[in-house]
Amino acid sequence: MAERQAPLQAQDKLAFLLSLVPFLMEHERISVQEAADHFDVKPQAVREAVELIAVSGIPGETGQYQHGDLFDLAWDDFEENDQIVLTNLVAIDDAPRFSGREAAALIAGLQYLSALPENADRTAIASLMTKLARGASALPSQLGVEGAESDSTLALIRQSVEAGLQLEFDYLNARGERERREVDPLRVESVDADWYLRGWDHLREALRTFRLDRIDNPTVTDKPISRRAADVRLPELLFEGSDTDLVVTIDVTPSAMPLIADYIPDGSTSTEVDGLIRTTVRVSHYHGLKRLVASLPGVVTVIAPDEARRVVAEWAAAGAARYRDDD
Amino acid sequence: MAAPIAKVPVEERLFSLVLALLATETGLTKNEILSTVQGYRQRYKASGDNANLERQFERDKDDIRDLGVPLETIDSPGQVGNNQNLRYRIPRGAYELPGDISFSAEETTLLNLAAMVWREGSLSAESRRAVMKLRGLGIVSDEPVLGYAPRLRVRDAAFEPLRSALEKNAIVRFAYLKPGEGEARVREVAPLALVQHQGRWHLHALEPGTRLTKTFLLRRIVSQVTSTGATFAAPVGDQTAQALAELEEVWDSHTAEVEVTASSDAAARLAKRRGTEVVRDGVLRLHYSDANIFADELAGYGPEVLVLSPPVLRAAVRTRLSTTAETHG
Repeated sequence: MAERQAPLQAQDKLAFLLSLVPFLMEHERISVQEAADHFDVKPQAVREAVELIAVSGIPGETGQYQHGDLFDLAWDDFEENDQIVLTNLVAIDDAPRFSGREAAALIAGLQYLSALPENADRTAIASLMTKLARGASALPSQLGVEGAESDSTLALIRQSVEAGLQLEFDYLNARGERERREVDPLRVESVDADWYLRGWDHLREALRTFRLDRIDNPTVTDKPISRRAADVRLPELLFEGSDTDLVVTIDVTPSAMPLIADYIPDGSTSTEVDGLIRTTVRVSHYHGLKRLVASLPGVVTVIAPDEARRVVAEWAAAGAARYRDDD
Repeated sequence: MAAPIAKVPVEERLFSLVLALLATETGLTKNEILSTVQGYRQRYKASGDNANLERQFERDKDDIRDLGVPLETIDSPGQVGNNQNLRYRIPRGAYELPGDISFSAEETTLLNLAAMVWREGSLSAESRRAVMKLRGLGIVSDEPVLGYAPRLRVRDAAFEPLRSALEKNAIVRFAYLKPGEGEARVREVAPLALVQHQGRWHLHALEPGTRLTKTFLLRRIVSQVTSTGATFAAPVGDQTAQALAELEEVWDSHTAEVEVTASSDAAARLAKRRGTEVVRDGVLRLHYSDANIFADELAGYGPEVLVLSPPVLRAAVRTRLSTTAETHG
């Protein structure tokens, strides 16, 4: 999950400095490595920040940044042992507040995660949100996400990992096949209202992604888990392309491009044809494609291959046929 | 020691400005700041034009305030209203996290997860800084038992400009295409809240002309969002809760009955939608917010779903399926 951090901008560096100072005040002596681990940054970023702090301060009475107006550091300890010991402090006594926007982002994030078993204690979550709002320097901006009930499948998944026992469930795949699957849960992922379980599938002996809303009758088994998240390198992408993927040419209304962005592989070219965008999507089979295209009527049209057009046409026609007596 | 030569890095100038303004009770004038604070003083001309430096200071103030640092201006004693002698400071009480606020390891774990939700758009930067501040408090978070990678999307082009307008209480203008209407209409509204409901972003806003609050679906905003230049008085009360309550009310009042094919994808997934009731074997009662959007969703299930009611939804699904069949035939 360690997404590689982009290089810090000046504002981020300032936020780091303002957070690092009170942290170093709390820890009278700490190694560069420990501080870096705690903030999840490179040791060199900590060294640079400490060097900057050590020569910073306030103009003071004289306006000349006299010695006593500056932070100071036990330089020998720092340079020889990579240890941080601040020996003089100025101006800063405590940690900064959150900005209104920062607090709003966290509050909305908590609301979004209300289905997680970790968030089951609603009183605790409410008090946490209140603390965030009180700990902000401005009123959190008006940003909100619909909450959800605690999800029982998510709770079982967590139980399974906690107990170290495999999870078993009925799963209906996009092809319409139903099977009992035995899985070592590795990670729960979500995109907006859609939730997924990624795990080691003992039936397929491979990593698989399961939609939570296609899982039925989940139970925790008595078989021990063989793989844990730490043992497996999970690809960052929820849906990985494979060599057997089918490439389909489609026309899309420009405004609908964001809706299908996930299906468009990197490096695919798009051209404009009569005000529509012609591009390619990759799908593992046409069963998924027909559902996707039918849910974007008049917005996405399959151009090629013919087989893909036929599968979509038949799917939609079969659906429409169910209403044939309406006229 | 601070070397008064070479270029002072931006973060050093910003950091020095925060330190200087935190340390002063009575505030510093702009001239005092520019002539004494590290990063400015090196470029300050004692007798001459400091216009560039002043503009730099203006931008720095914005950057610092962006981080939630409450940089304020006060009048110089005895010179109320004299803009030349405004004094700048950062009041300690408004800067520091109140002493009684602390977060447990468990809470920190939850907040780290909450921050992870925003991985795109400007909110990802805000979250990253919030986590940085949280870490500064020194709490070591519990490693969650199960790994999570939650993600909220902000793909609607209107999101960022609306969020920015929301903070500035700025009245905005955009073209909005309502389904069933042939052409988009230009709306002028005061944004009150941005909320995600049923996986879609909505703007809750006040129409100054009618004094009515309305909810707009971001994906139906078909033009750029532009500021009118006008502002409005910040509303009181929790607009977010109000917006979500209204959306929930709409969702609650719209129900559809659909027949689903046994052991189909539709049967499995629709049964797990929030609020779904089983009317009888193979028939589900579902809640929805918007007939057009729900019709798209149901059309995706093809022959696995037959809409029984309401008639408007039934017709909408049928039309969609016919369209798709025709365009692919």
